[in-house]
Amino acid sequence: MTTEDFAKSMGYYKHVSLFWTDLLALMSSRQQSILSTGPFRKLGVNAKQVGSEMIEINQELVEFNARLSEYYKQLADTWNEAQKQFNKKVPEIPTDTEHLDSTKRIWIDIFENYFTRLFDSPEFAENFGKVVSSELELAKRWNNIMSLVLEAGNMPTKKEVDELYKELHMLRKRVAKLEKIANVGGNGNGKRT
Amino acid sequence: MLEGMGMESELRVDPRILEEFLQMNRNILDAPKLVAAPDEISLGMTPYDVVYSEGKMRLLHFSSDKPRQVRTPLLIAYALINRYHILDIHPQKSWVRNLLDQGIDVYLIDWGTPTALDKYLGFDDYVNIYMDNCVDFISNEAGVDKVSLQGYCTGGTLATVYSALHSEKVRNLVLTAPVIDGSKDSTVVANLAKHIDVDKMVEVIGNMPPEFMYYVFSILKPFEQGLEKYVQFFKNIHNKEYVENFIRVEKWLSDTPPVPGELFREWVKNIYQDNLLIRNKMNVSGKTINLREISMPVFTQVAVGDHLVSPECSMPIHYAVSTEDKTLRIYATGHVGMIASSFSQKRILPELGQWIKERSEK
Repeated sequence: MTTEDFAKSMGYYKHVSLFWTDLLALMSSRQQSILSTGPFRKLGVNAKQVGSEMIEINQELVEFNARLSEYYKQLADTWNEAQKQFNKKVPEIPTDTEHLDSTKRIWIDIFENYFTRLFDSPEFAENFGKVVSSELELAKRWNNIMSLVLEAGNMPTKKEVDELYKELHMLRKRVAKLEKIANVGGNGNGKRT
Repeated sequence: MLEGMGMESELRVDPRILEEFLQMNRNILDAPKLVAAPDEISLGMTPYDVVYSEGKMRLLHFSSDKPRQVRTPLLIAYALINRYHILDIHPQKSWVRNLLDQGIDVYLIDWGTPTALDKYLGFDDYVNIYMDNCVDFISNEAGVDKVSLQGYCTGGTLATVYSALHSEKVRNLVLTAPVIDGSKDSTVVANLAKHIDVDKMVEVIGNMPPEFMYYVFSILKPFEQGLEKYVQFFKNIHNKEYVENFIRVEKWLSDTPPVPGELFREWVKNIYQDNLLIRNKMNVSGKTINLREISMPVFTQVAVGDHLVSPECSMPIHYAVSTEDKTLRIYATGHVGMIASSFSQKRILPELGQWIKERSEK
């Protein structure tokens, strides 16, 4: 299957999944509105969003797997190159201690050089950045689902807690700076222990 | 008889290899009897008092029975990665102990362990609040107007920014492997940092997790550090000094706190991606950092074998400051060797102590 075919089938899968999720949500909206006043407030209403996030997760997984495969390919290719170089340099493994030790040193040096060159390359760093980025996209979707669940349980979400942290941070900073002006020095800000 | 059994090839192997292999196995079995587990030892050797704290940050004041030779105290701003114990990891290799023995009063900032609550702490908080309050505290305690300031690694960047913003409070500035010019940094760390979507990382996970740093460390010298190091450890298992030092450093290496999200974002963007600090374009709390404001004596220390902060990344600070009293030393060692080794005790610290004392209030 070509990349284009794969993208097409992924797009179709996404469309079909979204279609049924949306349609089912529309068909069941009256029943859900009853839930919105009960103990499972919002759970029914959010169900459609949870479904959408799951569909997105599948797409992110495809991207993540592609990047991870590339990551392992880079490692495997480098290993093979290094091994080839080692075989060229040491065609036969010695059987005495002195030579075995120096052979080990050669092996380490060759592999270290090849892998350091890989990790220093822009190609590795670029793909690594994409692996991390796609991992973060997955984490973001997961966070979104968790937020919907927390919201349904009438609990504060990560976003709301983050807002609180930000507010606290700004307040702490203001107090610290005001105390600094008042004390003309830092001694009043923290704790003298 | 063995020949008849088809075992000729095995007999050709040097018997010493077999003996070494068996010895290695014996050493592995003996290891738990000879070496304390990392969790059973505590790092840090020199006694200290926590004299000031704010948030998670603590200011440590080290005790010494040696007479003080200068009035100006030294404040060390440790790095944000790993913990300050490396500066006091072994009595014979302690950076702190050596400076105390030279008659210098030593304070050190332990940044502590940030939690999710600290996600929004940035350069402004670290430099203008934490560091500035520590400097004020020390100045009041010691009855001086200025302190000597030393920054190690990322602590060197913080010390640089602080000295540019508060030059009137810094008598001498010592920068040990500081992270300054990200565009010239040829290390793996810099290569990865340039390709990270740091905004997304901070938005999704908040603080930079320690595991991320462990990954970066693991690819620095994967075969030497990931394999050979442990082989050597077991080979030397009966060498008490070797194994003790090994376990202490390993314990230190495996303990790094998270970095506050906002600080990490500013760091990666300002230093590695946009390279603003060395170009005098970095902004902290509405003020542009101008490295020409650094007019006090500056001592820059770099190591040729530094694979975490390359010398090319640190050295530009020597040429960017306005002071004429500046010294640049390039040592034949590595990032950790510069601060915790016999070499640093014999070569680096005597020179540094002398330099500080000559420029301190008597």
